[in-house]
Parts: sequence; C-alpha cells; structure tokens
Amino acid sequence: METFALLLQGMATSFELLNLGLLIFGCLIGLFVGAMPGLGSVNGVAILIPITFIVPPTAAIIFLAAVYYGAMYGGAISSVMLGIPGASTAVATVFDGRPLAVKGEAMTALTAAAVGSFVGGTVSVILFTLFAPPLAEVALRFNAPETFALMVMAFATFVGLGGDDIPKTIFSILIGLVLSTIGLDLITGKPRLIFFGIPGFLHGINFLVLAIGIYGIGEMLWTLEETKGKVQMSKLSVNMKEVGRAFSALKKTIMAMNIGSFLGFFVGILPAAGATPASLMSYGITKQLSRNSKEFGNGVPAGVVAPECANNSASTGSMLPMLTLGIPGSPTTAILLGGMILWGLTPGPLLFTQQPEFVWGLIGSLYIANFFTLVLNIALIPAFLMVLRIPFAILAPVIFVLCVTGGYAPTQSLHDVWLMLLFGFGGYMLRKLDYPVAPAVLSIVLGPLAEKAMRQSLILSDGSMGIFFDFASKPIAAVIMYIAIVLLIMPAFGPLYRRFFKKT
Amino acid sequence: MSAVTKFSVRRAEITVAVVLALCSLALMYKSAQNRITWSAEENMGAGFLPFYLSLGMLICTVITIIKFILKKSPQSTNNEPFIDPEAFKFVSVTIISLVVLVFAIGYLGIYFSLICFLAFYLRYFSEKSNSFIFNFSITTPILTFLFFEWLLKIPLPQGISEPLFYPVYDVMYGSSSLFMIWIYIIITVLSPTVLMLLANRFVK
Repeated sequence: METFALLLQGMATSFELLNLGLLIFGCLIGLFVGAMPGLGSVNGVAILIPITFIVPPTAAIIFLAAVYYGAMYGGAISSVMLGIPGASTAVATVFDGRPLAVKGEAMTALTAAAVGSFVGGTVSVILFTLFAPPLAEVALRFNAPETFALMVMAFATFVGLGGDDIPKTIFSILIGLVLSTIGLDLITGKPRLIFFGIPGFLHGINFLVLAIGIYGIGEMLWTLEETKGKVQMSKLSVNMKEVGRAFSALKKTIMAMNIGSFLGFFVGILPAAGATPASLMSYGITKQLSRNSKEFGNGVPAGVVAPECANNSASTGSMLPMLTLGIPGSPTTAILLGGMILWGLTPGPLLFTQQPEFVWGLIGSLYIANFFTLVLNIALIPAFLMVLRIPFAILAPVIFVLCVTGGYAPTQSLHDVWLMLLFGFGGYMLRKLDYPVAPAVLSIVLGPLAEKAMRQSLILSDGSMGIFFDFASKPIAAVIMYIAIVLLIMPAFGPLYRRFFKKT
Repeated sequence: MSAVTKFSVRRAEITVAVVLALCSLALMYKSAQNRITWSAEENMGAGFLPFYLSLGMLICTVITIIKFILKKSPQSTNNEPFIDPEAFKFVSVTIISLVVLVFAIGYLGIYFSLICFLAFYLRYFSEKSNSFIFNFSITTPILTFLFFEWLLKIPLPQGISEPLFYPVYDVMYGSSSLFMIWIYIIITVLSPTVLMLLANRFVK
C-alpha cells in the first residue's frame, strides 16, 4: 500500500509542467536519436547530460530516462523502414521488420514495434515497482560463470535462427565470434589478428560496422538485384482499416510479448548484460517455441514484437541495479549513473530512503513516458511511411550516405568504412548462397561479453570447465548451461521429430 | 555478359566454400602467432580462442564441401546464373561507385566526394531532372555537415578540402560574432533554394 502511495506521488511529480514538458521532449529526441544509424541511446544520453545541469535532479533523470526510452522505440524505425538497425538493441527487429515493410506491411511492423515496446515497457515497470529490492539481490548472484552460461544460451538460440543448413549457421556464428576477438586481448593485452599490421584493427571491429555493412550495403545490393533497380514498393495507405488490420495481427503475438517482457526484464537487471542480448535471446526463443518457426525471417509480427518488448523491458530492468546497488546494467545506465553522481546523488540502497522523490519520480515517469512514446510513435507512423514513398533511385544513395557516415562516426576511422564495404559485399554473396548472416551480427555483439565472462570464470576455477556444470557450487550457471545444451540440440531433433510424426 | 551467365550457383557454392576454407586456415595461422595453449598452470593464451574458433569454421566449410561433392545441398545441383545477368550492371555499378566513393573520401574529403557520388548515382539510376540532381547532391552533404559537425560535434574526414572549412569552424566555435552565425544560418537554409534556381536557369 505504501508502495502504491509512493508511486502515485511519483506520477504526480512527473505531471508537473517542467517534468512533463521535458519528458515529452526527451521521448521525441530519443525517437530521433534511436532511428539514426550509428547513434543510440548511449550517444543521446551522453550528449544531453550537460543540458540537465540547469534543471533539478528529478527533472534531469526524467528527461534522460525519456531519451533512453524513446531511443528504444526509435531503433525499430530505421530497422523497419531502411533495413539498417538504428542501434544494437534493434538488430533483431530487422530480421522480420524489414521483410514486413518490403511486403507492403510496414504499418503492421511499426505498430507491432510500438505496441510491443509499450507492453514490454509497462510489464517491466510494474515488475520494477513490485520487486525492485529482492530482484536486485538475485541479480547480484550473477557472476562471471552465470553470465557466460547465459551467453551460451543466447548462442544456442542462434542455431535455431539459421535455416536448415546447420554447418552454414554454425559457420556464421563462428565467424562473428572470430571477428569479435580482433584487437587487443583483454587479459594479456596482446594484439590479436592484426592483418598486414594495419593499426585500425587494434581497436577491434565495432558491431555497427558489420551490422551496417550487412543490413545496409548488403541489403541494398540484394534489393537492386531482385528488382533490377526498379523497386516498386507496394501501395501504402494509412486509414482506420489499415490500423485495425495492424492491431488484429498482434493477437497472434501474445506469446512473443510474454517472452520478450519477462525475459527482457530479467536479462536487463543482470549487470553487464543489457538490452541487446535480451532482444536477441527473445527473438531466438520465440522462434524456437513458435508453431510457425519457419516463417520467421520472412516477416511475421511476432518476430518484431519479441525483440521490441525485450529491449524496452531490459532498458527498464537495467535501471534496477543502477538505482538499488549503484551497478549499471548497460552502457547507457552507466552514463546515467555518472549523471546522478554529478547531480550530487549517491546511488545505492540508501537512495530509496534518502531521495524517495527522485526514485519514485523516475519510476512514475517511466509509466508516463511509456504512454507518451506509444502515442507519439503511432501518431508519427504516417511520417515514417513517407520514407517508403521516396523513389528507390533516391532512397538508395541516401541509405549509402547514412551507411558511410554511420560506419565512420562511432570510431572516426576510414578503416571501418572500408571494412563495412567489405562486409556488405561479403554478406551479399553469402546470403545468396543461403549462409544465414544474422547469427554473425549477433555473435560479434555478444562475443566480447562471452569471452570476458568465460576467461574470468576459468581463472576462478584454475582452468576447469567444471565450474559451468557444477550444481553444488554454481547452481544457476549449471541450470542455464543445461538449458542451453537442450536448446542447442533441439534443431537437430526437429527433423527426426517431424519425420516420426509424418510416419505415424 | 556471357561470363556472368556461365558462373552458376553451383560454381559459386564451391568457390565460396573453398575461399572460406582458405580464410579459416589463414586465420588459424595468424592466431598461432600468439600462444594457443591452455592449461591449469598457465592461463588461456591470447591466440587460443581465435585459433579454435577458426578451426570450427574450417570444419564447417569442409562439411559444406563434402555436401557439395555428394550433391546433398540445394546449391550443388543449381545451374542457374549466380547473379541475374540483367541485374549484374546495377550491382556492379553500385559496388564500383561505392569503392570509388570511399577512396575519394580519403583524398577529397567526405563532402565533395558525396556531391560527386550523389550526382553520378542519381544521373545513372534515376530519371530526375538535372536541376533536381544538382540541388539534391548539394543539399545532402550540407545537411550531413550540419548534423554531424555542428549538432553532434563529430568531425567527418575532409582530406585536402579541410582548409575550405576553416571559416565555417570560426563561425561554429565562436571566434566570429553572433551576427556572422546568423548570416551562416541564413546562407545554409537558403543555399539549396538559390542553387536550385541557378540550376534551373543554367543546367539543361
């Protein structure tokens, strides 16, 4: 009851004129920043932190949390409309969002993304309100072995992401992992795989370089070949009938919403995990559990809903360890944490008792931000759809310009632009030969996290792999690891299962 | 064009698999330049993970080659052209223009290279008027500049054209007066319109 009263008070705080104005402004900026390839919530929050010094801390955190939230919604826009993930959290949204747009169902894809984000955000903020302190304790029990087991589970779900050709899928996962090892070794500090002594390889390969290459350049080349330069997008209309059709398509995505919301929240609260693994895992698990898993990748609304639910849910979840323990769950929350210290607050267990207005103002604002971002997103869909009305001959060079600038901006190195072109051409060739490219992108994102967790665990266990399978000392890691093994071998049993049932 | 027709999916499958196998071997060789051993006494060597991951890649490509030889994969029996001969022109022109663009960025700088790239690409693929192409090719780099360099303060490569931007930076970083900043904003906003009018007047 006390929680409910505090929550109401927090909501009232976020309805104050200054806070509400900043909240709506933050949501709009977030939508824009999230939709721009090469920029994500981290960039948006980092750039805007200095602006927050002129307002009280509660208004500042409400503004930045709204930017963070808006960016989670916005990432889906460029994934659907241009086929380029706006941020790593929206990589999985491309898999089904883009095919839906190409089929002329961009309205369905954008609605699915907006509603999915809203559901994920709302479920997670309710969980946040109810279970903040006990969940923070569970999250603290996730050390390196548990994190590695979780990453293995994510990789296991990727095997299900590929087509029927398991060797090509595993090849794709492995090449992503090898690319993620390029650069300085995190334990010994030795340079690894520095080709021809080119210094650009020393800072490793940013996942955006691979993602923009494959989904920007590669996708454009694919579309050019398929359509011979004369892309005719299906006619798009925005009327109530279309809106109704888009919403009715969401009825079949209840399972995806559940998986995305709960899994996303749980992965989000784990330190060093964040929204990207959450969205990728949700997509993989939803696909594996779905009755029409073969349709995934060709444009099913559930394939958009699952990752979008998860990334929003995880973004709320990642604020939990930040507020309760002072441990950031994602790069963006790390910057928010820095902001809190700059505003003179001390994150940690005492924050809830010493600064209730700040904490509950933030939690209350998350409910309001969710609602406003949904409204803004749905209201702006006609504007987003206009992108598809631009003739392809004009849209294609604009996308190439976005790819080149988006590939350059994160590291400011022309070396990365060359790599992006190489990955674009390579990805296009491999895709034509049925090599699934999605697992490579997912692996390069999760590779560094997995390697760090694995090597830390092995140092803890004096080199014994038993640490991941020991129920006595690491029960959480062992359970997750065995689930991962089951997920890994499930696709192999799929054809046998179908054959058996066909015969009987 | 006949070479394009002759290069079938079947040939592409085996060629790509062999190239990927060779790449995997090269990665293994490169990884082995660091220590690739791992034992309880000494921590994992820096080359251990990339070496064994590359070995996994090699095994996967070998399986693909075996499936090709046994004709177990759909690509191994597909004799259709790998790239549609009609679409080959579009794809190859795009690839070449992108490679030239990135080369030019290193030398001319991004803004002038983008103007040339957009003008060429739109001329080649679209049926738009010269004035539209001229206007579009100029406006896009201006907007790119404003967004990245002014709003986000992310410098993009400028190559030999960098000195041309010094007066603009003077305006942006405050060594010019507020009046000059307004003049700059007005010029930036009006330039596309003026350029379009000029283009309509002079470019046929």
